[in-house]
Amino acid sequence: MSWLKWFEFRGKSIFHLSYSFHRLTGLVLVLYLLMHLSYLTSLTFGREVYEAFIATTVTPTFLIFDILLVLVGVFHGVNGLRLVLHEFGLAYDARRPILYLSYIIAFILWLYASYKLYVFVMGV
Amino acid sequence: MVKEGKDVIFRIKRFDGEKSYWSDFVVPAQKGMTVLEGLFYIKATYDGSLSFRASCRMGICGSCAVKINDRPRLACETQILQLNSSKIKIEPLDNFKVLKDLVTEFEGFFAKHEAVKPYLIRKDESYAEPVELIQKPEELQVYYDFSFCIKCGACFSVCPAAATREDYLGPAAMAAAYRFNADSRDEGRYFRLATICSDGGVWRCHFAAECSEVCPKNIEPAKAIQKLRFQSAVYMINRAFKRW
Repeated sequence: MSWLKWFEFRGKSIFHLSYSFHRLTGLVLVLYLLMHLSYLTSLTFGREVYEAFIATTVTPTFLIFDILLVLVGVFHGVNGLRLVLHEFGLAYDARRPILYLSYIIAFILWLYASYKLYVFVMGV
Repeated sequence: MVKEGKDVIFRIKRFDGEKSYWSDFVVPAQKGMTVLEGLFYIKATYDGSLSFRASCRMGICGSCAVKINDRPRLACETQILQLNSSKIKIEPLDNFKVLKDLVTEFEGFFAKHEAVKPYLIRKDESYAEPVELIQKPEELQVYYDFSFCIKCGACFSVCPAAATREDYLGPAAMAAAYRFNADSRDEGRYFRLATICSDGGVWRCHFAAECSEVCPKNIEPAKAIQKLRFQSAVYMINRAFKRW
């Protein structure tokens, strides 16, 4: 018995891959949430402290991490909606096309959000 | 491409009660020869101590499920040449305690099966005056696919939820529960839901759906669990209002 089996990919189908990535992205989002809350907490020490934090991360150097974070969030969200749909007992027989569709939707949303981020950070 | 008459290496994960190790055996592959026949060949020719389970040899008893090339399959229904590999890796099923070589502990698995009461429950059952229970073909179709389960344990072995919780009922037991809950002749749905609607029951499933992918009988246990979730949700709402 081991939670490491969540990430055992050998011989597994694409459904298990989605399951594993859902768990991984969930962990990343929890870590991000902690970071995000600590940024907000810095406001209690004054506006200067918060702006110093922001000046470190909202930069072109950090843009790649932001884009990856958006990918993590979008995948987790879209895949989560797919799971909610099936867990209501709906559309089970169409689970494979729905899985592929969720990947396509996540990819399109990620591209759009990345473009918006790029424009915001680079000031294009 | 492996051809008929060619030697195939069986790489088998062994366990002697204390340590695990791998043993390699050469098996001459014949057309139509199954992995189970290969195991019997090894036992008769090389090593009589090799342990594995088998019974019907025709995909009905579910005894010979093992991991073949990283995927749980019935050894009796898997032909060596169809694997198209010169090396075949055989391991015991995951998520089960290994007793010896390919033999795993199934008592817990069967106990979970028993816990969901996989039989018809009637309020008016009378053995003295048995009554014929009529069922329409469309009522049969509702649960027909789920009645093919052979309890081989393949679904349980790939379930990530079963990997982390020993008290999780698992896909096979819940598919059996759905099979009887969906049966128009049954009147014991609420007895089963009392067991299933729990932390170790339907709510533990995270829909990896791998159970449906590996089932040798294509019975789709993941579908049964999602349908049971809906029944469980209705059961919980009704129980909250003390309607049952």
